[in-house]
Amino acid sequence: MRKILATFINESRLFAKDLAGMALLFLMPLALTVLMALIQDAPFREYQDIRFEILWVDEDGGKMARQLGAELEAIPQFVLIRTLNDQLLTADKAQELVHKGSYKLAVIVPQGVSAEVANSANQVANELGAKLGAPGKLPQRESRKVALEIYFDPVIKQAMKLSLLNALEKQVTRIQAEIILARLENRLDEQAADSSGPGLRLQEKLQAVQLREISSGQNKTTQLTTNSVQHNVPAWALFGLFFIIIPIAGNFIREREDGSLMRIKMIPGSSFTILLGKLGFYIVLGMLQFFIMLAAGALLMPLLGLDSLQIGNAIGSLFLTVLVVAATATAYGVLIGSVFQTPNQALPFGAISIVILSAIGGIWVPVEILPAGLQQLAKLSPLHWALDAINELFLRSGFILTVWKQLIILLVFALLFFLIAGITESRRRR
Amino acid sequence: MLQIQQLEKTYKNAAEPSLQGLSLQFSDKSIAGLLGPNGAGKTTTISILCGLVKADAGKAFLLGMDVEKEREAIKRRIGVVPQSIALYPTLTAMENLQYIGMLYGLGSSLLKERINQYLQLFGLEKSAHKAIRYYSGGMKRRANIIASLLHEPELLILDEPTAGVDVQSRNMILQFLTEYNKLGHGIIYTSHLLEEAQQLCDEIAIIDHGRLVVQGKPVELMQEQQAQSLEQVFLQLTGSSLRD
Repeated sequence: MRKILATFINESRLFAKDLAGMALLFLMPLALTVLMALIQDAPFREYQDIRFEILWVDEDGGKMARQLGAELEAIPQFVLIRTLNDQLLTADKAQELVHKGSYKLAVIVPQGVSAEVANSANQVANELGAKLGAPGKLPQRESRKVALEIYFDPVIKQAMKLSLLNALEKQVTRIQAEIILARLENRLDEQAADSSGPGLRLQEKLQAVQLREISSGQNKTTQLTTNSVQHNVPAWALFGLFFIIIPIAGNFIREREDGSLMRIKMIPGSSFTILLGKLGFYIVLGMLQFFIMLAAGALLMPLLGLDSLQIGNAIGSLFLTVLVVAATATAYGVLIGSVFQTPNQALPFGAISIVILSAIGGIWVPVEILPAGLQQLAKLSPLHWALDAINELFLRSGFILTVWKQLIILLVFALLFFLIAGITESRRRR
Repeated sequence: MLQIQQLEKTYKNAAEPSLQGLSLQFSDKSIAGLLGPNGAGKTTTISILCGLVKADAGKAFLLGMDVEKEREAIKRRIGVVPQSIALYPTLTAMENLQYIGMLYGLGSSLLKERINQYLQLFGLEKSAHKAIRYYSGGMKRRANIIASLLHEPELLILDEPTAGVDVQSRNMILQFLTEYNKLGHGIIYTSHLLEEAQQLCDEIAIIDHGRLVVQGKPVELMQEQQAQSLEQVFLQLTGSSLRD
């Protein structure tokens, strides 16, 4: 135990002497994490809380057009622009502005839409009323084809376009249904005018099934939606943690080159305890780095106008998970330091391999959107399992029993790395 | 102190074997010199003795113990001074020695006492808190030796301990080795400096191409070869062609 402690202290001393290295090890991942969260904030918000400006041209002016405008304005994501420079928008102007890319979307409500909806509602009410034996008839004429005209900026993403169309269609359908039901209800109410009972309230009755969003997690008190901070901070913090392989590999190679390793090997019963001391130091360093990133996510990001990182409630499980991840990263550093002969071989390989493992592991983009082949390949990256475990804890209210599989896989990676490093070292003796 | 029997070693991808049936022995508690031109097999021999490299064939015994089977026990009783400065350059001499002493399991007070004793003996007490990288070549060599002495080994193995040092430092190191030997400790060392070996060693072994060329006391070898110096003996036996 004394030798482990001595090695831990020695590594701390060595690290403390390299102030620039120490600063880089903490500041570079921090800068990367903050930058990535800021850069990806807009794309994340695009699908969540960005407000969409819709050029709204009401050439109809009727009840249906007014109601549709009001319904869309009630949706927080939509802002209806009816005038520009104190002038009422025209269809030509709206089309021109969308074509120039100044706005993403324009909706033209042509003249006669409200009248056509009313006529259509009257037709339905009359037909149903007649079949039910209701007296009288609402005014009706032959149907004419009318359509809302929608202009999209060509650069708009397909998913966004479909969402907007769906939202519009839903509103139009709902308003039409409401008008039809109101007319039908009026006709039937007239038929039963002599009875003193309550009205039919058809619209209420037709809303039997509603949608209600419920947290999928076990802990109903936390309901998280992913955002730039929630995705980027854990992902890039893991990426930064794995970069600890650079000082580890560099240290191992330097010790081999300058003869310190030979001296260590000549000290009785020390190789394993010294290795434990070194590993302990780098594991603690990696964990410290990771938790600093999380603290930045929780405290610094809101100061930059971003969301605050939510780390869930399973702090003990998080600590254990980060411990295992740091041990895996350290083991990978030992492997790189053992396999390669010089820093010139080890450092570029180590750095680029981390970039590759992070790319296939879902650090850059979620694994779910990768092609099927790459999704299988992701399983070979320890970063994938690390991120999966962290997301489980942060987003799905996970705890140790829900991440044990990921932790076991990470430990298998670590053991494999140590095993290969051990075999390499023993071959070197031959 | 050392027995080597038919030691053989060929490194992977090497064109020639490093050791080809090397056999030699040094008597207990002597100062023994392992000499030879570049590529003779000196460093390979020392690496096998220290357990850092495995021999392909043959046996080696240090202090009566098999170097392959009793490695841990041997480590407790020997000290090895590598040719390179095997210290952390960014740490001070004090920090380096504290760490190495703790790895040898020395208690705090004993370690402090030994560090101060050897720093004083080697003239480094005033530079104890200076980083090794700021030391001169001679100071680094002296600190390198102290690091192998803290546990006071029965046998000290030194690989080129005076390479690249000034005359004063070399003189100091050789004087120390003589004194250390007088206290009953054995010393095996390698060197290219034959005059130094002639002055210091009780016995020497000259090896070349991984084989023993000659072994004995320096004075007797000079008489046998009718040479004025050990350097003459060396050149007569190993030739004057250049070695890589």
